[in-house]
Amino acid sequence: MTGIIGAVLQVVLVAAGAPLLVGLMRQVRARAEGRAGAGILQPWRDLRKLLRKEPITPHGTGPLFRMAPLLLAGTTLVVAAMIPLVTTRSPLDGAADLFAVTALLALGTVALALAGLDTGTAFGGMGASREMVVLALVEPTILLSTFAMSVRVGSTNLGAIVTSVLDDPQQVVFPASLLALVALVVVVIAEAGRIPVDNPSTHLELTMIHEAMVLEYAGPDLALVEWASAMRLTVLLGLLAGLFAPWGIAVDSPAMLPVGAAAIAAKVAVAGAALAAAEVFMAKLRMFRVPELLAGSFVLALFAVASSFFLVAP
Amino acid sequence: MNHSTYVQLLDAACGAFLLAGVLVLWRRDLAAIVRLFALQGGALALLIAVLGVHEGDAEVVALALGIGALRALVLPWLLRRALAGGAANRETQPLVNVATSLTIAALLGLLAYAVSRPIVRLDPTPATHAVPIALTVVLIGLFVLVTRRRALSQIVGFLLMDNGITAVAFLTTSGVPLIVELGVSLDVLLAVLVLQVLTARMRAAFGDTDLDDLRELRD
Amino acid sequence: MTLLLIAPLGAPLLAAGAHAVPGRRRGTSWPGALSAAAVLASGIVLAVQTAGGPRTGLHGLLRADSLSAFMLIVIGAVALLAMLASPAYLAAEEAAGHATARDTRRYGVLTQAFVAAMALAVLAASLGTLWVAIEATTIVTAFLVGHRRTRNATEAAWKYVVICSAGIALAFLGVALLHFAAQHAHVPSSGSLDWTELAAHAGSLDPQVTRIAVALLVLGFGAKAGLAPLHAWLPDAHSQAPAPVSALMSGVLLSVAFYAVLRVKVIADAALGAGFARALLLTAALASLALAAALLLGQRDYKRMLAYSSIEHMGLLALGAAIGTPLAMTAVLLHVLGHGLAKSVAFLTSGHIQQAAGTSRIAAVRGFAARSPLIGGGFGAAVLALLGFPPFSLFASELAIFRAGFTAGLGWAVGAALVLLLVITAAVAAGTARMLLGAPGTGPGAATLPSRPPLGAAAGLLLGLSACAVLGIGLGPLHDLLLDAAAVLGAH
Repeated sequence: MTGIIGAVLQVVLVAAGAPLLVGLMRQVRARAEGRAGAGILQPWRDLRKLLRKEPITPHGTGPLFRMAPLLLAGTTLVVAAMIPLVTTRSPLDGAADLFAVTALLALGTVALALAGLDTGTAFGGMGASREMVVLALVEPTILLSTFAMSVRVGSTNLGAIVTSVLDDPQQVVFPASLLALVALVVVVIAEAGRIPVDNPSTHLELTMIHEAMVLEYAGPDLALVEWASAMRLTVLLGLLAGLFAPWGIAVDSPAMLPVGAAAIAAKVAVAGAALAAAEVFMAKLRMFRVPELLAGSFVLALFAVASSFFLVAP
Repeated sequence: MNHSTYVQLLDAACGAFLLAGVLVLWRRDLAAIVRLFALQGGALALLIAVLGVHEGDAEVVALALGIGALRALVLPWLLRRALAGGAANRETQPLVNVATSLTIAALLGLLAYAVSRPIVRLDPTPATHAVPIALTVVLIGLFVLVTRRRALSQIVGFLLMDNGITAVAFLTTSGVPLIVELGVSLDVLLAVLVLQVLTARMRAAFGDTDLDDLRELRD
Repeated sequence: MTLLLIAPLGAPLLAAGAHAVPGRRRGTSWPGALSAAAVLASGIVLAVQTAGGPRTGLHGLLRADSLSAFMLIVIGAVALLAMLASPAYLAAEEAAGHATARDTRRYGVLTQAFVAAMALAVLAASLGTLWVAIEATTIVTAFLVGHRRTRNATEAAWKYVVICSAGIALAFLGVALLHFAAQHAHVPSSGSLDWTELAAHAGSLDPQVTRIAVALLVLGFGAKAGLAPLHAWLPDAHSQAPAPVSALMSGVLLSVAFYAVLRVKVIADAALGAGFARALLLTAALASLALAAALLLGQRDYKRMLAYSSIEHMGLLALGAAIGTPLAMTAVLLHVLGHGLAKSVAFLTSGHIQQAAGTSRIAAVRGFAARSPLIGGGFGAAVLALLGFPPFSLFASELAIFRAGFTAGLGWAVGAALVLLLVITAAVAAGTARMLLGAPGTGPGAATLPSRPPLGAAAGLLLGLSACAVLGIGLGPLHDLLLDAAAVLGAH
């Protein structure tokens, strides 16, 4: 029972909270830059405005173009229901394998990249090819670093990993966890299309990655894409918080669910605010330096796996 | 200090030690490289101090303080002084590009694990289990020494090697005899001083310290 | 006893102190030569004293056995030659404006510290102290290599410090691992790096860890000894250093580093059997010989030619050590002495040639034997000695190494070495003949006759050559010392 309520709570929380997270991050950035900012609710207002517009699609695009936003949002919602955010007892926990989660997220990305190609415009294709470069570099790192976490537990199930960290909080400072954390932070930034890999607020097509793919979307479709992207960021930050700071998460009693919800909201908000504050001080990397960054995170993930195998567990 | 805390601290220090070493490969900014080296010196001192406290050996703890002072404060200070004298402060064109060097670092890590198997097998304690990490840092240092073109990066590469070797010495046997350890530290300090003077001379003779200019002597 | 052990360290340090006193001009003549003579004398006394067994001193930090005494004699002899030649060299450098009085004073201090560090290396009772001493030689000689402060000299000094420090750092990793293996073989912790303790407990050292340690030690000390693959610094450093320093570095420093390899080999043989160290040394030997042969062909710089010849001779020493029979080990030690004497004479005379010709290119020197019979003749005789011609002792030692190799069943390696030696002999002889024979050319420097070397320097050259020749004819009292020293190296 706890699981079903918790899973529903997770989906609702992610769906409703994701635009707020984006709003919070923009607000933090605005304040740090000395601007007043549009307020935390602005992304919701943008979405409302977009939803009221008439749906249009470019000439010559096929069903793929219309399916992609749905697929992106759908996979993200499934992931939100699976992974341990509010509770570790999600009914989908059996499927909450780290490989399944990675594959689901990749499915959404690939769908969007195909949609970008489907438009047949130069920028769509460029964005798609860049996104694939980043994806190809990010996927192995995500797999390796979560694998490093799972070696100690003996299972790749995310719920089991989180429970084990809850039982023995010391293991977070184990080198494997530290290295995996650094690697995961880098790939989360890349996957969510944040600075220094991609700039979500750029208006210059040549520097775009994610934005270039969705240039041709308008109206409700664009709203769906934006909403799904916000949810991806939320889910990834939530996963990070769940793996490395799972305190407050509900395990058994339904009474813990509000606490768990509040805890995950607070953790994701703090992580998002920190990310936004860090972005103020960074510039976007040139495209050909991105592989260096991602190769670095891959090395760290590999060392994480290696040290989790070779060092003595405390 | 109970056993679990000991292992925890030991492993955390090793993790920081390795992380700093890998990040040196990653960064191009020489000032950042020097900062990372200082960080690594701190991690090394922590590592030795943890070993010393665990064994209740006051001499090792004192050595940890000395090594920390040398490698986290004095040597970085010397390097910063050498850096301040020069115009170039970036490693612009390493012989092997950064993405490839990072991948090679991963391979070096695997090599270190393979090589150190007999060492771990001889005495499987938590400390010797961390020897591969120290050995990885030695190999990364050697790699930096071979592939970087700036004089300062090469010095840092040499010092990374030395940090790694010191870590191996302490992880295996709480260090070589005191007199040897003192001699080693003095030698490292003097070597860096010599290299610093040579850097200044090279700058006077070559204009800058890009070692690519060192092509006069060859067959 | 302690006093006798400290004397070879103290005398050069005292002389260094004498040089450090500011205000003295041309003060390099007598304290330097005296301290070198003191090192030589204490080596001889120690050789007599240690005939009955090793002597320790300074709370067990220092120990002299026959091998240490022999190495001290080599250091003292070569240092004496170099110190006799130094004043004239420095005066000429100052006259040519290459050096100031301050440089000269620093030169005096550093060369003496260099000799002291080498003496410490051979007297050290433990592997750790030996390591510290050998690394100290790198630091002390760095500024000597860069003495001229030119572009080339600075470049050579940089490469020297970086490659040697890195190589020697690998050796330290080997020291640490050997220490680890020793602690688990119940070697008492006070002497866990001590030569005799290690050799006595070698049988119980963990073979796999010891194998890693020995490989690192041979690679690391081999770097300092100029053995391939970490030899790249040697031709640069030896060609750019001042001639007396080149003589010291090439004549003894390489051998001192090789002495460390020999000591390691004793432990390796006891712990791992003879095969492992033999394979390592054979690889290094043949690689060094092949490299020297390849780069000596078409060599255009005579100081670099001598430097590559040093790599060749280190290769021969490694070959002898790999063979490892009593005959081979005795020959290796004799070769160390002969090479030290001949190579230092060759470098010292090349310094005079360089000062006279103003360059170290072979093509710029023509008919030097006619212009200066003493220098040209000395250089020619030293090169002949280095090529292994009789009556010099290198002939005898090389012959003995080859004979031992054939007897020990390493005929293929010796055969390969002989082919490479033939190439080397042809290349070096051709280069030297171009420099010495024929009528003087008309290039720069041809117009001025070289100044005749002062009495001390000339006496040094003659002394070195005649000692090398006498050793080739008969060993005399050295015979027993060599046998004892070879016995220390495990060749019974």
